[in-house]
Amino acid sequence: MISLPVQTASFPPVTLENLPLLPKNLVEFLLGWVGAPEWLVYAGGIVATAGTVVGVFLSAFALLSLVERKTLARIQNRLGPNRAGWFGIFQPVADGIKMLTKEDIVPAKAEWLLHLAAPVLIVVPPILALGVIPYGCEWTPVPLELGLLFFFATGTLTEIAVFMAGWASGSKFPMLGAMRAISQMVSYELPLVISALGVIMVTGSLSLPDIVGKQGGYHLGFIPAWNLFTPWGLSAGIIFYIASIAEANRCPFDLPEGESEIVAGHMTEYSGFKYALFFMGEYLGLFAIAGLGITLFLGGWQAPLPGLGFVPSWIWFFAKLAVVIMSYLWIRGTFPRVRIDQLMRFAWLCMIPMALVTIPAAGIWTLLRANGHGLFAWLVTVPLLVFPWIVLTIVYNRCLAPATRKYTFAE
Amino acid sequence: MLPLLILSPLILLAALGAVWKARPVHAALLLALTLALIALLYLAIGAYFIGLVQFMVYVGAVAILIVFSLLITRPGDEAEEISRRPSSLLTGLICTVPVLAVLFISLIRANPPEPAASDAPSATLQQFGEKLFTTHAPVVITVGVLLTAVLIGAALFARGVQGISSSEPFESGKSLPP
Repeated sequence: MISLPVQTASFPPVTLENLPLLPKNLVEFLLGWVGAPEWLVYAGGIVATAGTVVGVFLSAFALLSLVERKTLARIQNRLGPNRAGWFGIFQPVADGIKMLTKEDIVPAKAEWLLHLAAPVLIVVPPILALGVIPYGCEWTPVPLELGLLFFFATGTLTEIAVFMAGWASGSKFPMLGAMRAISQMVSYELPLVISALGVIMVTGSLSLPDIVGKQGGYHLGFIPAWNLFTPWGLSAGIIFYIASIAEANRCPFDLPEGESEIVAGHMTEYSGFKYALFFMGEYLGLFAIAGLGITLFLGGWQAPLPGLGFVPSWIWFFAKLAVVIMSYLWIRGTFPRVRIDQLMRFAWLCMIPMALVTIPAAGIWTLLRANGHGLFAWLVTVPLLVFPWIVLTIVYNRCLAPATRKYTFAE
Repeated sequence: MLPLLILSPLILLAALGAVWKARPVHAALLLALTLALIALLYLAIGAYFIGLVQFMVYVGAVAILIVFSLLITRPGDEAEEISRRPSSLLTGLICTVPVLAVLFISLIRANPPEPAASDAPSATLQQFGEKLFTTHAPVVITVGVLLTAVLIGAALFARGVQGISSSEPFESGKSLPP
């Protein structure tokens, strides 16, 4: 019989650091106190952990929908929602009521089973992925040894769900949108994974808590040892950042759902709560991938300065998450949408070669630093990264014009 | 034993659906489901790395490739019509019966030892990686060369398709084509 990791001893002390673990500890303690069998206590702990993660991120999703609209409005010199309560604070509630009370329309030519399954399937991968991210030094909901691989595996499920949504709607805009969305997600998944490979190589582990742990400590007393503050880490971090915007279908890469292009792409024929599920899946995916970027490159829950260790680690994580999400919103309000051929060309001609150059740079960096040649490592890796970047920029600028394409599939 | 008992009927049903369904997209999605359930089986027996890689490669790449090509070409539902011809049935029987017979006979004749009462497999990810790239390095290199050849061949093949000409770089300063 396998032994379950269950808290059957006394209740652990409640500190600010393990405040997020409070629901899980409480449920396990109560169930153990009542005398439930061990498997029930374990299951209760799992449900409480999942409930904490889902609860935190769903409220963050509601808050983000309002913050996004206000931020975009301010960038565009207007006010944003300010009717539903003071400062528009109840706008997410109003949105939720609207989505729930809308009529659920399924087109006649649609396959109703796949049409129903697609929004359900698109919410599941981000919630799974949110479970493996280390939020605090004591709080990783599911500390897997292969956490990073699990994260990328769940990302691939999103693509299947997008295809199902596009195809099952039985109409041309969703099918075109699904085609574009899948090609975009597959193309940008490569730079995403390859830039994460550098981090895996340097850390020597696929476990996300290990990756965060390796980024502890400070150089010169005040510069944190985050992966972003190394040459290969900066390059890989920028590639990861751009690829994550594309994976999450955010502007400037929101061609699959741009209103002026293809109505709403694969979400065109959805209304009511199913559309809300798509929306939720997109935003939760944004949280997940931003969280992964923070874990890989920004040191996860590590504090930025040595004296700030008294602040609980999960607060640092969520502060970094807020900064990264605000940068996503800022970028959304600033850049125009890219065209599909520009998008694909950027991924295959610019991002993937740059990501491939980052891997030997990371390897050379680790090797030289391990043998004590710290300065030499800087001298070698910085030109190794800057030179291909300059060459790729020149080459890419030469092919910015649209290729003359003959569309054979749009009737 | 329990995961095998629960998952294998589901895998068989999904695989049967994948080959029997007339509409290609349904068959493709059922194939994705079959591959995902096999990944679940790997995870259930403790081969976590293989299970996740199976999910990522088969469901995330192979199934996506199949559905993407279905989206582009949009074939009709010809499979049902073809499968009703008697010659198709004969071909199917000739192909499947010997294979099934060999599998069945070898399963009956084989006498595997009782599995030891240990839980998870003892190889860690580090050991797995080390073995893969030191003892089995020639295999990895061969597969890499093969995949590179396939990639180059696909790129060359795609360039030769009519109507798509992106080989001339556009020089800035000139006017755009109409």
